[in-house]
Amino acid sequence: MLDKVLLSDASLQEIDNELDKYPKDRRQSALLAALRIAQEEHNWLSDELIEYVAEVIGVPPVRAFEVATFYSMYDLKPVGRHKINVCTNISCMLRGCDQIVNYLQNKLGIGFGETTADGKFTLKEVECLAACAGAPMMQIGRDYYENLSPEKIDTILQALP
Amino acid sequence: MRLLQIVNAGKQLYKTFSLQELRKGLGVTGRQLFRKKTTIMYPEEKTPKSPRFRGLHALRRYANGEERCIACKLCEAVCPALAITIDSEEREDGTRRTTRYDIDLFKCVYCGFCEEACPVDAIVMTDIHEFHMEENHECIIDKQRLLELGDMHEKEIAAARKQDAPYR
Amino acid sequence: MTTVTIEVDGKSLPAQAGEMLICVTDRNDIYIPRFCYHEKLSIAANCRMCLVEVENAPKPMPACATPVMDGMKVFTRSKYAQTAQQGTMEFLLINHPLDCPVCDQGGECPLQDQAMDYGSDDSRFLEKKRSLPSHDIGPLIATEMTRCIHCTRCVRFGEEVAGVVELGAPGRGEHMQIGTFLNRSIDSEVSGNMIDLCPVGALTSKPYRFAARSWELQNHPGISPHDCLGTNINIQTLRDQVERVLPIDNPEINQCWLADRDRYSYEAVNSEQRLTQPMIKDGRKWREVDWETAINHATAGITTVLNSGSGNDIGKGIGGLAAASSTLEEFYLLQKLIRNMGSDNVDHRLQQCDFRDDNIAPRFPASEIQIQHYNNLAAVLLVGSNIRKEQPLLALRLRDGCNKKGTKISAINPVDFDFNFDTVESDVAAGGQMVRSLATQAAHVAQIKSAELPFDIKKIADSNPGFEQTANNLVAAGENGLIIIGALAQQHTDASLLKAISQWICDTTGCKLAVLGCANSAAGWIAQCVPGDNGMNAGQMLGQNGSAGLRCFILLGTEPELDSIDGKSALATLNKAEFVVQISAFKSASVMKYADVLLPMAAFTESAGTYINCEGRIQNAKVAVTPKGEARPGWKILRVMGNFLELNGFEQITIDDVTEEINLTDITPSCRLVELQFHPTLSSGEKSTPDLMESDSLIRVVDMPMYRAEVTLRHARALQQTADNPPPAAGLNPATASRLQLNDGNRVKVQNQSGSATLELRTNDRLAENCVYVPAGFMETTDLGRHVRVTVKKIE
Repeated sequence: MLDKVLLSDASLQEIDNELDKYPKDRRQSALLAALRIAQEEHNWLSDELIEYVAEVIGVPPVRAFEVATFYSMYDLKPVGRHKINVCTNISCMLRGCDQIVNYLQNKLGIGFGETTADGKFTLKEVECLAACAGAPMMQIGRDYYENLSPEKIDTILQALP
Repeated sequence: MRLLQIVNAGKQLYKTFSLQELRKGLGVTGRQLFRKKTTIMYPEEKTPKSPRFRGLHALRRYANGEERCIACKLCEAVCPALAITIDSEEREDGTRRTTRYDIDLFKCVYCGFCEEACPVDAIVMTDIHEFHMEENHECIIDKQRLLELGDMHEKEIAAARKQDAPYR
Repeated sequence: MTTVTIEVDGKSLPAQAGEMLICVTDRNDIYIPRFCYHEKLSIAANCRMCLVEVENAPKPMPACATPVMDGMKVFTRSKYAQTAQQGTMEFLLINHPLDCPVCDQGGECPLQDQAMDYGSDDSRFLEKKRSLPSHDIGPLIATEMTRCIHCTRCVRFGEEVAGVVELGAPGRGEHMQIGTFLNRSIDSEVSGNMIDLCPVGALTSKPYRFAARSWELQNHPGISPHDCLGTNINIQTLRDQVERVLPIDNPEINQCWLADRDRYSYEAVNSEQRLTQPMIKDGRKWREVDWETAINHATAGITTVLNSGSGNDIGKGIGGLAAASSTLEEFYLLQKLIRNMGSDNVDHRLQQCDFRDDNIAPRFPASEIQIQHYNNLAAVLLVGSNIRKEQPLLALRLRDGCNKKGTKISAINPVDFDFNFDTVESDVAAGGQMVRSLATQAAHVAQIKSAELPFDIKKIADSNPGFEQTANNLVAAGENGLIIIGALAQQHTDASLLKAISQWICDTTGCKLAVLGCANSAAGWIAQCVPGDNGMNAGQMLGQNGSAGLRCFILLGTEPELDSIDGKSALATLNKAEFVVQISAFKSASVMKYADVLLPMAAFTESAGTYINCEGRIQNAKVAVTPKGEARPGWKILRVMGNFLELNGFEQITIDDVTEEINLTDITPSCRLVELQFHPTLSSGEKSTPDLMESDSLIRVVDMPMYRAEVTLRHARALQQTADNPPPAAGLNPATASRLQLNDGNRVKVQNQSGSATLELRTNDRLAENCVYVPAGFMETTDLGRHVRVTVKKIE
């Protein structure tokens, strides 16, 4: 069974809270939340971690793996401390996201899906994040940054620890 | 009525004694004597053959030396004379290969269906039609012999396929 | 259910309201192409191949997911439907490699067939095709994932039918691919069915890989000898060699499924270890001889033993043992041969060691309900049965019942087995504790029904309450309840007691009883291949329990050192015996040591014969291939031995002549003892099962792993490599292990009165405490015999 404990008590408690939201025989419903909680603690989902979460929930590991590989918000490879998600959908594109992307890529010296050598930033291309009114936009962690310009990006990145 | 008979008999008499038909025949001979000859001195001389000629079978290889045959057994299935016998297994590298490929030349009717069925142009019919065997069992040619035949005549086989390609 | 009328292609058809369209058309022989739909699986509607035109519908409808409505007009082959089907096919073929010539599915491939029938002749796709790596997912299934069309039949089979979710569909959109988590192996005991379900060549049989093409195989209907169901199999051969085995759909027995055991056991038939020539032992050396010499040698040996007896003892020193997988005719002729020689020592129950109820036994062990009703039970109690591994297809039926009808299943087992259905209660009890647990259930039943509990049960029953639901469920179920006596109960040292208590519970509650014998055991009983009143049973013959054992044996398809639950005594007795005739399809080093004559017998695909399953169904198997080498069908060998021994009644010419001699009338299955007798020998020393644990003494839990139980299975190469056949190890509950200061992976010496075995330790929290699980069926563990008290010590 659970040979190694991979999650903190707080995370496990949080997963338990999620499980409580669903009927007893529908534990699989809490899988999305559980994987999110696990990712928040470890920053990314390793195979080992996915299997552990599956065991906590009580589903076969392949079920958890299916979910983790389905959603692009789950990271199956190590990522930097800050994950920069740049929207390249139509509204942002019309408002000049290409320039933003170029600037970010040159500034950080990485392409999409890559992490800077110091492990601080990971750059990701994402689909519409529903902030078209503030295009072009990006998301870092849980925060949205809108109406971007190269200067604004400099300030934002500088402020990050 | 009687008169007609007498006239016919007279005509016949003339034909016989004038050697008319003999001269006619000799005339043909005489004309052909000076024409270009069509007879050839077989086996020293040979007639040209069509690239579609269906002679002895051969198994081809790719340029890198790998045998083409993938043991799909379509030739075995299509053969109307049940002349082909194939055994197959997985080779060490995981590919599908024959362990046995026998053609019984006594059963074969040289219909060329095997060649038509082959998805990889492995089994082909060469233009070799002069062959013999001295022992009874030699009528069955095995995989090794077929590959040897293919190796030996690859140039001719490839040339014939190329020549016929536009019509396929 | 209301009946509605729909019109399909201008034909008016009756249908049940709410039924899916494809069910109606299938029933009326109107074919609609499909890939993901399968009548035994849930509806996924993800291949879109079954699109048809429905009048007034805005778009083509999938027939597998469109419920019928009254007056519905459907066109399956209209231009509109055809365009939809052709479009779907074009999409399906976008990423399909079209490597049909090298694909094992070629020739029997729904994708290939339907592309011919329903596809267009051209593709507009010029881009690069997607290709995927294929991974090794075990010894039974070969994968070629590029060919996969994502119908998810295999995934649904695992989840719904087999009950083990091993395959899944990670990834999304074009990146989706069917696979196992981290490419682990597929370990289900019914995994081979995924090969049958796969509509393309993505999952194919590994042992069959590239061996033949489907169109050149010849079909031979047969019966599987490995289970007590008489599973219907299709033995496919090419040039007189078995190339693969497929199920034959029989809704009353196996439905369309087949256990891996039945599917892959054919590999043994083609194995290198086949005995193909009669052999005799000259002094110490073996030499191959012709049949006449061999049988002369055999009969001479037997006659010598016969003549050395005197008066009434003539023939008493001789005995016959048959494998449980033998055919009815083989069982019959063996017992006839032995009985005509004046002996009554004949048996086929090598795995049993408690024979105390032989004199009150029913005609044959059976299931009182038919196999097809296993899906419809209200409550089931498994007594000493790992039914998932013993009878995989029955377990599938129980699972189906559990999921659809809410069957309440409980178990009393020495190990909390990982079943593919939910158990209400699982009482983990080994040794004497198992009898005690069952007796306690009987006490609960007595209390609920206010029946009087027989004194013998009362004496054993535990006064502590616990696991009461089981008894409640059984009482509530009444006629719809079933108690299954499995192999572990029959191998138990108090098997007769377990059977008697179960019967008492059934009598009291009205539940049905099923004693699931191994392989063709029912036929063994019906052919009377069991000892008579004066005869010795398998245990006595093989010198169990300190009995002297016999001097001369005729062994039919069995290697007692591995087949018997007490291999140690068996081996000792056979080595000591004066003359041993082994009639077998295989040779092995240990047999060569004790046997004097080896007679090559035909394997199950090579011999005709009758099989009788646990519900008394008589099925005949025909010859599929000619026997290897000089091998001959078992019944012919026995018949000729009868002739050479100058015995009467061995004049049969065909196998039908043999079958006619056997009384097959009135074989209604009943497994109840003629008279209910208890043999309560609990806590009366080593003879029965010890109850109390001493501090350093543990109880050995014996089990015959599913792929070790028969000679044939032991020679099936791929099955031997599966996860269900791990190398022998000593299993210990983690708590017990830590008490003994042992860790997982330690080398330990398991020792008891008869001997010892050096094994690796595996901790297993499903095992009862103070027990050691040591499997039988391995030479490494033979030495332990049947003594249940063992000690475990670490080897440095």
